[in-house]
Amino acid sequence: MTRLLALLWPALRSAEVDPALLALAEPICDRLDDLSPRVEAVDRGVVLLEVTGLEALLGSERRIAARAVALARGEATARGLVPPAVRAGVGDNRWLAVLAARLARPSQPGAPAAFLALPSGAEAVRAALAPLSLDLLPADPATRARFALFGLTSMGQLAELPRSAVGAQFGPLGERLQALARGEDRRPLTPRRRPEQVSAGIGFEPPAGGITEIALALRRRCAELCDALRLRRLAPGRAVVRLELEDAPALRVELAFPEPALEPDWIARLLIGRLEQEARTRRLTGEVEPRIVSIGLTFDRLANPAARQLPAFEAAAGRWEELRWALERLGSRFGPGRLWRAVHERPAAALPERRARLTGIGPEAGG
Amino acid sequence: MQTDMPRPVPPVRPLPEVLEALRERGLRRGVNPGPMTPGALPTGHPTLDAALRTGGWPRGAAVLLDAPPGSGATSLALGSVAAVQAGSGLAAWIDAAASFDPAGAAGRGVQLEWLLVARPRDPAEGLELAGWLARSRLLDLLVIDLGEGGGVSARAFDHLAQLLARAGGLALLLANGRAAREVAARSAGVRLSLSRTAWLSVGRDLVGQRVSAEVTRHRWALSGGRAELDLWFAEGRRIDPLLPSLAKPQPVLPATVQPGESGEPSALRVVS
Repeated sequence: MTRLLALLWPALRSAEVDPALLALAEPICDRLDDLSPRVEAVDRGVVLLEVTGLEALLGSERRIAARAVALARGEATARGLVPPAVRAGVGDNRWLAVLAARLARPSQPGAPAAFLALPSGAEAVRAALAPLSLDLLPADPATRARFALFGLTSMGQLAELPRSAVGAQFGPLGERLQALARGEDRRPLTPRRRPEQVSAGIGFEPPAGGITEIALALRRRCAELCDALRLRRLAPGRAVVRLELEDAPALRVELAFPEPALEPDWIARLLIGRLEQEARTRRLTGEVEPRIVSIGLTFDRLANPAARQLPAFEAAAGRWEELRWALERLGSRFGPGRLWRAVHERPAAALPERRARLTGIGPEAGG
Repeated sequence: MQTDMPRPVPPVRPLPEVLEALRERGLRRGVNPGPMTPGALPTGHPTLDAALRTGGWPRGAAVLLDAPPGSGATSLALGSVAAVQAGSGLAAWIDAAASFDPAGAAGRGVQLEWLLVARPRDPAEGLELAGWLARSRLLDLLVIDLGEGGGVSARAFDHLAQLLARAGGLALLLANGRAAREVAARSAGVRLSLSRTAWLSVGRDLVGQRVSAEVTRHRWALSGGRAELDLWFAEGRRIDPLLPSLAKPQPVLPATVQPGESGEPSALRVVS
């Protein structure tokens, strides 16, 4: 019997949500990969994990859910965000797991997490679903209104009806809703492919005095990783460096490349540039620059550098793609606010200055 | 028959004067002009392409558009950008003067989506940035608007000229300040002097200006070529394709005469 765990973040399901929280989805899935080999990001704020057979290793379903919640909250905290409240649910299939998460309520007001497990086995599931309202089914308002006209208000009532009768009245959609009301869902879990990454690290004893002192070590680590990837005909699309500092919170810098690149010199230079920028910001806030205990360097988003696609039908587009990497270097060399691109805003505006505007290029501008 | 008259000895000229003369002829210390990079980029004006005798702006050159303010240097540069983009080229506008107007550029046919705009802190940084962009070899045309161009050294121009020659790039230099123009003129491989010869008007409305362009220096071809360019204000040519045939030249009055006082069309009546 398959058992699935659903994690649901109500705050991430709302229309207006902080983009920083939304960006958490991928790193959280990366962390959950450590818990289960089959993880699927279903929708915004909903993640499914297969937990079948994990009890022997990790304990009861409740404990597994608690562990998943702790991993997700840890990822948010590491990024300086307040972890949003999460609901966890366990069921025999996708529908039941997500339904359990939706029905889970915290044991006390303000608790950061809630948990509910629906029982296993067809009969037990039907019994558990029977008193639930039909409003929980993913039906459109018109179908719901027709259910009400027939006097159907609970899942048990819909589940009791003959399948042919439901099909005759409500069509294939009705049949599907009835199957859900009976706790049946044949859709399989489609696990995400775990993104590959390569890492290297180095410790300093005694700790290094500043970022300038670690430049050479970082350059060497970049070269080592690039050499290893070159043999596999791969190139990184992103580099993440994490500095463990003495008596200060760790410093983490992330650098996404415009295209997969195997240029250790430039990767190291850009990373050092970002680290110095971060250190400058900390200095401005009055903090003393702490000493560096260790560096952790990770390359991910690995891809074949020769396989990248350039737009074929507009020559300028292809050349602009090539230019983006040069612009990344320029942005690093000259600082933010130097490179811009003009965009048409309101081409038909009466005032010429409203027809087009300049928009920044580079990591700060997201361009 | 022999005479005892001594042959005239040419006067000895001081070295700085000789060097200055050489400089004027296009030979400069430290920079070897070398062979021209094959291919030329269109100026957007066929008559000017012919006057340059290289079929357009020569690649690998720094070109100084030597013109007093309002004489069409920016319009000519925008036209060149549009012409380069029409051939799938990429261009960058280095806007040290912080005066680039995207709507105006679009009105002159520039495809904004393929134009990089760089806003350096000062003109000196603008030249450095241009050097970096030239080194990337991904841009066909750099337009460097230096504005007043204060604090720009001759060395920076020399360095840029060398990079352009090596990378086969092209830079059009626009400078309002006289000092910056003079410094740029020494390093520029091509120097184009622009002067307004007539206003172009339809009825009483000014729609453009006629500019005389003279190639006063050309390192890769014979200088001295001339061309007459009709530069239209804003979107004039796009609004009305018949404008070139309708417009009539009006004489430019001497600078001492105040506009508006003696019949010179007022700038307020410019059609844009």
